[in-house]
Amino acid sequence: MQRYAINILLCAAALILVGLAHAGKLDGYVLHVITLIGINCIFALSLNLVNGYMGEFSCGHAGFMCVGALTGALLSVALFTDSTLFGTAIFASHWAPFLFPLVLIGAMITAALAGLIVALPSFKTRDDYLAIITIAANLIIISIFNNIDAIGGPRGFLGQQQTINAMSNFIKLPWMLIWTLIGVFICVIVIRRLMTSTYGKGVSAVCQNEVAAEMMGVNTNRVKIMAFMVSSGLAGLAGVLYAHHIDYVNPKSFDLLKSTEGLVMVYLGGMGSITGVLMAAVAFTLLVESLRFIIPMLNNGLHSIGLLPESYHLDQKWAWVFIPLMLILLMRFRPEGFLGNRELTHVFPRLKRWITLK
Amino acid sequence: MPLLKISGLTQRFGGIQALSDFSFQLEEHEIVGLIGPNGAGKTTVFNIVSGFYKPTEGKVVFNGRRINGLKPHQITALGMARTFQNIRLWNNMTVLDNMRLARYAWLGYSFWSAIFRTQRYRRAEKNIENQAREALEMMELTDYAEELPKNLPYGLQRRVELARALASKPRLLLLDEPAAGLNSSDADDLIHFIRWIHDEFKLSIWMIEHQMKVVMSLCQHLTVIDFGCTIASGTPEEIRNNPDVIKAYLGDDTL
Repeated sequence: MQRYAINILLCAAALILVGLAHAGKLDGYVLHVITLIGINCIFALSLNLVNGYMGEFSCGHAGFMCVGALTGALLSVALFTDSTLFGTAIFASHWAPFLFPLVLIGAMITAALAGLIVALPSFKTRDDYLAIITIAANLIIISIFNNIDAIGGPRGFLGQQQTINAMSNFIKLPWMLIWTLIGVFICVIVIRRLMTSTYGKGVSAVCQNEVAAEMMGVNTNRVKIMAFMVSSGLAGLAGVLYAHHIDYVNPKSFDLLKSTEGLVMVYLGGMGSITGVLMAAVAFTLLVESLRFIIPMLNNGLHSIGLLPESYHLDQKWAWVFIPLMLILLMRFRPEGFLGNRELTHVFPRLKRWITLK
Repeated sequence: MPLLKISGLTQRFGGIQALSDFSFQLEEHEIVGLIGPNGAGKTTVFNIVSGFYKPTEGKVVFNGRRINGLKPHQITALGMARTFQNIRLWNNMTVLDNMRLARYAWLGYSFWSAIFRTQRYRRAEKNIENQAREALEMMELTDYAEELPKNLPYGLQRRVELARALASKPRLLLLDEPAAGLNSSDADDLIHFIRWIHDEFKLSIWMIEHQMKVVMSLCQHLTVIDFGCTIASGTPEEIRNNPDVIKAYLGDDTL
């Protein structure tokens, strides 16, 4: 029983969170930030599989998030809503709460297939070249989205809001929070189970010594493609959740800046550490959100002591000075991130008595 | 039928002829050696046989099957294992995990059974775990199961690498300078060890080695190459007295 203490605690925390949100005790903005944290956790964990465990450098991971977001949104509309784009809904809208996982799975599969298309040519190369190819893939995906007018092009796509409404009409619950929490749980379980199996350890073997891996019977090419597909599929999950949470998919949300956010979270947390990356995703999201308040405060402060000219005002663009600056400082002073490639249970062995992860 | 038969192997890298018309044959349960001065092309031969290089010309037949053109992991699955001149272990994984991964070609479950932890997965993993522990026990490495290889002394790392190669249960073991960096008494241990492995597992061994003591006391047959050409082959006794070999090792002028 003792070994399940933290597991039970986490479940209880999730239930309390959902309960509070349901009772309307949580501010809409707080709820938004919490859901965003969950989505960022999934996104960062998925990137961690490639950049952390496999030791490759994928720079355009937001592209796969975009694929997931878009297909998820389209599926959602096609399945549950009467629209001009797809005609009448395939299922009556009261099925939405039960069949929403179909949307999630569909988005994950499409994103994984997009990952496969990128992986096939790019794993002929390594290192810098892979980074360049993934950046290109990110740009290609976004410009495809931008140029299909039927789904809104640069204006973005909306309509998936109907699905959330349908779910809320069935029972009033904070649905997106619930789906996001389930998503984080699935993501952690999948990566954890994969990386503790001998099958998944092939990924670490490729990272640590590819020649030895190949010699000892690991089909390195296949392992790399598998890891990349799992990773992009999970990024797609983050995407579809994001699309439904924000009610609106816009190609601009998935540009290189989003990919950079993913990189910051992975390197902040420690490559190849699930707990580290989870901590980093929470810390990073909170930091980005808090900059919304810090920057105006800084602006006022600097004006009042006369360090800034009256005509100039610090605005939110400065967030993108502070965040990359954080990455620079991180690389300079603690390149291994919070935890390096260790888990929290390695740093505090006593935690093991309270937690069971299988 | 010989276990390994190589005929007319030639390897060119750009303008350099690393190996020319190399032919070789190895019977089941033999220990044979491949020697020659530095840069003679010995490791090139091993790299071709284990599938890392595609030879420009020639044919490699292992256990009745043509293997040049196969990927290294496919060759491993056919029953060939290899150690490297410079140790290549997975340093951030425990010694036990290093052994586990040697069973990779015979996993017996898929991605989905790993995710859903099916019965099949649990049975296969248990099996792998047993075989990994068995390999450690045989090589007297059980005490180091949970250590990271990078924290072990050099001699032990060599032994871990050998254990890993054996964990894949090969019929042919290729050893690339197993005694490199070992002192004289460690080398004596290694000789006993290799002899024991050879008798215990009934496997064939082909080794590249510079320490003459090791080669002369283990190998039944030797091949000598220099500048990619075979200059002699025979029993250790014949090789020791072959003037071409002495010339290759010591140079022309000294004779």
